[in-house]
Amino acid sequence: MWIYEKKLQKPVKIAKADPAMAKIIITQLGGPDGETGAAMRYLSQRYAMPNDKVKAVLTDIGTEELGHMEMISAIVHQLTRNLSMDEIRNSGFAPYFADHTTGIYPVDASGVPFNAATFQSTGDPITDLNEDLAAEQKARTTYDNILLLCDDPDVRDAIKFLREREIVHYQRFGESIEHVLDKLNCKNYYAFNPAFTPK
Amino acid sequence: MDDKKSLLMRIITCDFILTETALFLDSHPNCADALAFYQKHLAMRKVAAEEYAQKYGMLTHGDYNGQTSWQWTEGPWPWEYKEG
Repeated sequence: MWIYEKKLQKPVKIAKADPAMAKIIITQLGGPDGETGAAMRYLSQRYAMPNDKVKAVLTDIGTEELGHMEMISAIVHQLTRNLSMDEIRNSGFAPYFADHTTGIYPVDASGVPFNAATFQSTGDPITDLNEDLAAEQKARTTYDNILLLCDDPDVRDAIKFLREREIVHYQRFGESIEHVLDKLNCKNYYAFNPAFTPK
Repeated sequence: MDDKKSLLMRIITCDFILTETALFLDSHPNCADALAFYQKHLAMRKVAAEEYAQKYGMLTHGDYNGQTSWQWTEGPWPWEYKEG
């Protein structure tokens, strides 16, 4: 069960609109390594986890990712405030504008809508946790690329925070996979799926 | 039903009443009856949740109250099937 808190995990305050930057950053809402996919991935994978500690990690990180969806949405929202038609025409934002005006819709940086095929839930804890490690690195790479493209300190401040969270989550997933491996049946040498035994 | 289960059902019931009433209040923010109804169940929820946290453990991270280990990770988790 979830409860909404009327605050952002870290407040977002962007003084200057920049629709071209919005079009790039929105990939962390609807793109292949974005926060929506992250939240859906971890909250879906919890059910197959055999260890209570790892259920807690996936629950807590998945919940935090929901908060990150909100932060990315807030960044995109503030970057597209009070736009003139000229700014929309000349920034590359026009194709998004045609479908969504300045509403928030989960797409990647090229405009492709969010797709659940960007993540997996295999029912195998070790397979899933390896995906989670990769997912945190991929999101960190995307944030690094955004930082290379972005000069505005207001935007960089929020993006740097989100980038750091990827690094922390990577650490926690690393500990989680070690925990699952430690608790494996000693005859399961090759770490096959410990969550499903055919009957 | 044991005490733990009935206390949890009391919280779940209060929470549903609060959710439903909050939704009504979103579109009727000045309805005095709904506000009083919300207030009454909020108080009931608070008493039940404090008792639950003290006796049986955490429903949220914020229920932590000085224990020597982080009991949040202890199962069972709410989606798990339990006999009885």
